[in-house]
Amino acid sequence: MVDERPGRERQLVRFIAFGIAALIAISGLTARMVYLQLVSAQTYQKLAVSNSTFQQAIPSTRGLIYDRNGLLLVANLPSYSVKIRPSDLPFSQRATVVAQLAALLKMDPADINASIDGNPGSTFDLVRIAQGVPIETANLIAEEHLALPGVEVSVDALRHYTQSSLLSSVLGYTGAIDAATLKQLKSVGYLPDDLIGRAGVEAQYETQLRGTYGMETIQRDATGRQIQVLSTDSQPIAGDSLTLTLDTKLQQQALTAVNWAMRAAKLKSAVLIAMNPQTGEILAMVSTPTYDDNQFAQGISNAQFQALLNNPDKPLLNHAINLQFPEGSTYKLVGGTGALADKKLTTTTLVQTHAYIQIGPDKFWDWNKRGFGAINILHGFADSSDTFFYQVAQMLGVERLSYWARQFGFGAPTGIDLPGEVSGIVPDEKWKQDTFGQAMLPGELVQAGIGQGFDTSTPLQVLNAYAALANGGTLYQPQVVREITGPDGAIVRPFVPIVLHKLPVSAGVLATMRVAARMVVTTHHTYNLDAEPFVIAGKTGTAEFGVRDAQGRLPYHNWFVGFIPLHGDVSKPDSQLAVIGFNEDANTVGNSATEMIKYFLQIHFGVRHDLRKFELMQKGNFYGGN
Amino acid sequence: MGVFKAEPAKVQDWATRSVGAYWRAYDIQLAMYALLLAGLGLAMSYSSTVVTGVNPLDPSSNFLRGLMWSGIAVIVFTTATVFDYKWLKTFAWPIYFVNLGLLGLSLVIGTGVGGAARWIAIGPLQFQFSELAKILMIVVLANYLAVRQDRLGSIRVILGACLLMVPTWALVMLQPDLGTSLVLAGILAGMLFMSGASMKWLTVLAGFVIAMIPIAWTYLLRDYQKQRLTGFLNPASDPQGAGYQVLQSQIAVGSGGLFGKGLTNGTQDALAFLPVGDTDFAFARLAEELGFVGALLVFVLFVVLLWRVLMAGYRSQDRFGTIFAAGIGSMILFQVVVNVGMVIGLLPVTGIPLPFITRGGASLISLAIGLGILQSINIRQAKAEW
Repeated sequence: MVDERPGRERQLVRFIAFGIAALIAISGLTARMVYLQLVSAQTYQKLAVSNSTFQQAIPSTRGLIYDRNGLLLVANLPSYSVKIRPSDLPFSQRATVVAQLAALLKMDPADINASIDGNPGSTFDLVRIAQGVPIETANLIAEEHLALPGVEVSVDALRHYTQSSLLSSVLGYTGAIDAATLKQLKSVGYLPDDLIGRAGVEAQYETQLRGTYGMETIQRDATGRQIQVLSTDSQPIAGDSLTLTLDTKLQQQALTAVNWAMRAAKLKSAVLIAMNPQTGEILAMVSTPTYDDNQFAQGISNAQFQALLNNPDKPLLNHAINLQFPEGSTYKLVGGTGALADKKLTTTTLVQTHAYIQIGPDKFWDWNKRGFGAINILHGFADSSDTFFYQVAQMLGVERLSYWARQFGFGAPTGIDLPGEVSGIVPDEKWKQDTFGQAMLPGELVQAGIGQGFDTSTPLQVLNAYAALANGGTLYQPQVVREITGPDGAIVRPFVPIVLHKLPVSAGVLATMRVAARMVVTTHHTYNLDAEPFVIAGKTGTAEFGVRDAQGRLPYHNWFVGFIPLHGDVSKPDSQLAVIGFNEDANTVGNSATEMIKYFLQIHFGVRHDLRKFELMQKGNFYGGN
Repeated sequence: MGVFKAEPAKVQDWATRSVGAYWRAYDIQLAMYALLLAGLGLAMSYSSTVVTGVNPLDPSSNFLRGLMWSGIAVIVFTTATVFDYKWLKTFAWPIYFVNLGLLGLSLVIGTGVGGAARWIAIGPLQFQFSELAKILMIVVLANYLAVRQDRLGSIRVILGACLLMVPTWALVMLQPDLGTSLVLAGILAGMLFMSGASMKWLTVLAGFVIAMIPIAWTYLLRDYQKQRLTGFLNPASDPQGAGYQVLQSQIAVGSGGLFGKGLTNGTQDALAFLPVGDTDFAFARLAEELGFVGALLVFVLFVVLLWRVLMAGYRSQDRFGTIFAAGIGSMILFQVVVNVGMVIGLLPVTGIPLPFITRGGASLISLAIGLGILQSINIRQAKAEW
């Protein structure tokens, strides 16, 4: 730069320099444009699409539930739900928003906070706060959306249980999905704010009831506001509807009888099941105490749920299948049938009964301290002689006794289409070894003969065993759902009775046991039950459990299980109605379960006179095994 | 290239020329390229109006406003062409003080986003005087440097030019308008270089400016400005924050592909992912909707426009015309490179509009004035030189 004098020549150089600089700069820009628009166009196109669209599930209509006569039991009602998207709710405003929502929804703020904190999805997913919100409240909340950031109101279908609590223990309820379940089911399309069957038929048939959610592509703007539905990628398919085997009228009758027994005998819990022994269809199933499934459908509060959960009488469990109890004398069916089938006894074999039998130092008492003398199987069963069946157990031995128990379905779940069924216990050598690491003791064997000791069953197992007796030896899998109907009305799955197995026993043996069961009634072991205008055969049970009181007495459950022969002839395996009554921890003067069943059948058959014996329902010191 | 004349034409020489002579010297290409670019700008304005659901013929629509401004711009351009640019030399100093006055007024009564004082409402239209300031400063600097053409080797003239710029620059920074202040710096640099000022001193000056950057960073820039400047370096690190604009802008451009999504079919701006898609990021919208082909057309138009601007300067018989053209060329080039560079993630986010494409009356009017004066310079030369 020696020559600092400006001139046209130097200017030309600078013009050229400027032009070259401009070309280089714009070439640089062009190169970048080539990279962005030609080389990476697809990547950016995908980003632009994922930016502005998202896939959203279209909920399907949940299937309806009917009783066996077509009465609607569970419907869907459109209702307003209030939900929160935590990511849109600034933490600083959370307390205010929750307090405002609580006031509007008349909820406990703690419940709202618990819902937000228990959110199974991510903070970008909606959390259900309240459902079944009245339209006025929903409108108010929708209008206040500026003051309530992250709060959204949507229309959902709400389950409505038309019979309130009548069928709760069978129907169950739907509730918000929890994090663990969501994790399992996310891949099959469950959403964080989804409702899912949590108990009963609602849970058991979740897959069929839910149907298939559809999918749509939504265009959204940068604030997440939905602009339009771009496409419906798949239509939702409504869930299948269920027709139950249950008869609402019979269920109502059963509940009436159970409620009376609960009051009269001051019971804490009771079960009544009615079933068709020819098919395994459950016609009525009452378990009290229970709950109202509508409470769940409308969004149960934490306090209400905790109260149900902590209730010592376990209202959330179906006592017919979710709990197991000693069978007591109802179990004598096993020993009696087994001894006849194994030819340890004939109908004429006489067995000497005693006040007790002695095994080593221990006395095993009969409930009748006088004994019954020498009696055959029919009388042994009819009088429910304990010493008779102690000896029957000894004749059979533990392996044959447990073999016959299993033949009647004890010790294994019946496979009923309800969740949470327990299997009960049939003790044998292997079980004793596995559980206690020692052999069965002789005393334990004789106790097993009368359904005490280690033996436990669900009320349904006991009923199912007697149903097999009533139908001539077929053990069915009990069912509560009769048919599954598609959304178009076509039957997806018709009713088919499911045979678990046939009892390996002659028809004559079972006919003998049915006669014996009828004799239970006719010998007045059940007081005036034989005075009813219907013919019933059955067996009572008084099952001790727990710990002895100061007088050395044990508390006890009451059982009655029986069946009604179609034409009054117990020798024929034609019964279409088997029933069981179970009163937990009853401790009544007489067998309250028998009275409960008696009342149920009186209502069912429209019996004019009332033969209930109220004095038997008193608390008392009835003691022994009748 | 042209014939060199020892003396610039005298007033009486061209005063007697016929209209036909003027017309022959008129650079029809310059006008045409500017018109095409303005047309593209209007098309983008139309697109952004339509997708926001506004009737483009509604009086309040951005499209109709753009059309109105375009009309005004054509009148301004023609007026500036007819006006003899040589009078500007006479009025350079009054222009300088009017400029400072208008910028001062903007600070007092101006409105803008986030407390900035940028726009002054004139009836239903808003006007940003910092845009006009760029052209006015080009006039002032061109006059200053042309008068001192024999002393351009001296550091004093260079520093003088810088000092002349300082008040304008300070007023713009106070608004605050980082973008325009950068453009002003770019214009100053370009004009000094093109005027033939000493390379030695320019190099020293550039070194000094670079050395000042850390100080300016600490004391002059506001936090949001710093965030924008750093956000582009790693947009993915904070996709919802400072890097958001950069990322979304690149998605808009990239998703346009070769032929684009078609006018009004872009989603990035329509769904508000693209911030200020009708102003600073208008080019992103253009690239999204018109694709690489459209973007390339814009680049080509700017290149040929710059060529015509430089030619006007080179043809000019007086120093003022040459340096003025250098100023206009510097301004356009600087704004194109910085705006597009920002949109495609090569340069930090600064609020610099893309000439013609970015919606805005003041920018268009200022360009019309600048290019009009260039035409005025063109037609007042002895003959057209291509």
